[in-house]
Amino acid sequence: MLEAQATADMLLMAQPFSAPEAVEQPLEVALVKAVLDGERDRFARLYEMYAPLVHGILLARVPRGEVDDLVQDIFLHALRKLHTLRDAAAFGPWIAMIARNRAMDFYRGSRETVEVTEQMAIERPPNRTAREILDLICRLPEAYRETLVLRFVEGMTGPEIAARTGLTPASVRVNLHRGMKLLREKIGAVARP
Amino acid sequence: MKDNYLWDRSGEPDPEVKELEEILGPLRYQPRPLEIPRDIRVDRRRSFFPAMAIAAALVLFAVVLGLWFSFNRRQAAPLNQARDSRTDQNASARPPQVAPDNQASPATVAVSSPKPMAIQKRESPRNLLARNMGRGTRTQIRQPGLTPEELAEKEQVLVALRMVSAKLNLAQRKTQGVPQLNPIRNQHKIG
Repeated sequence: MLEAQATADMLLMAQPFSAPEAVEQPLEVALVKAVLDGERDRFARLYEMYAPLVHGILLARVPRGEVDDLVQDIFLHALRKLHTLRDAAAFGPWIAMIARNRAMDFYRGSRETVEVTEQMAIERPPNRTAREILDLICRLPEAYRETLVLRFVEGMTGPEIAARTGLTPASVRVNLHRGMKLLREKIGAVARP
Repeated sequence: MKDNYLWDRSGEPDPEVKELEEILGPLRYQPRPLEIPRDIRVDRRRSFFPAMAIAAALVLFAVVLGLWFSFNRRQAAPLNQARDSRTDQNASARPPQVAPDNQASPATVAVSSPKPMAIQKRESPRNLLARNMGRGTRTQIRQPGLTPEELAEKEQVLVALRMVSAKLNLAQRKTQGVPQLNPIRNQHKIG
């Protein structure tokens, strides 16, 4: 009940904003069109723009050592399948979906996996290194962890996350606040002896 | 507000959020150039719109044509029925007659059309003959290219054929020993 009230409050607090990517949208459309017309080099610009997004999505799902190679693979796959993209303006949500699917395929394909349990996280020493915080984030529900990684690791703002992933700003705001609340609880649990 | 800092880094910084940013910052994406292999082929966008538009137009045309035909057929059916009934009335009102000699229009002849055969009881050949003779001129078949004389001759031949057929039937019955139908009536006629 309280959570629902908090969600409503956050939605009400959501103020109109001007996303920086709103200006870049025509650029994406032009870039996609240029690549489809044969200018493959233009894809490098799309890569620069969206690599942090893909990196963040993967970081929230797969081991860190695999992320960089997967980012390259995903962009090469996107280049091959670019002609299937119907709306060039939706390049961000499209490649985000490819990244999520590829992360799922990664676990489907890998046989030797070690399940990280809650107990293992608690057993670790309570020094807040980047790895440990990331592990804690990765134990949150999927929607929260992706948003938190994009916010804290990739340094994107809420409006940027919304514009690039295709989510509504209200959803991103809710995910950020709920995710932050859960993360605080987990950090507190780890810090307590 | 602290919430605003979490949202878009505006307002008063939240120390906890700031700390998390500093801790997790080193994991940020380090730009690497994308190596695009030469063998990757970028397919052109396939636009199915023209093909779909043509297909849709053809389907629409076929539907409209079908509707038009069915509408015309429905309209034609009552007209034909009305024409047939009018012809029947005219034919029953007038006896069959041969057109005048000088008539240039395509000649018409009254030909008895066979009724739907639903004969339950066999009748005597004479009766059949009488019925056939009396069977009126139900439909008028247009037979262009026949002169009135030829039509009259044709009519005579048809009548003769019917008589021969009836006589043959009678002979066949007699040879097979089938009793004559309605003998009393025949006797009465003979008497």
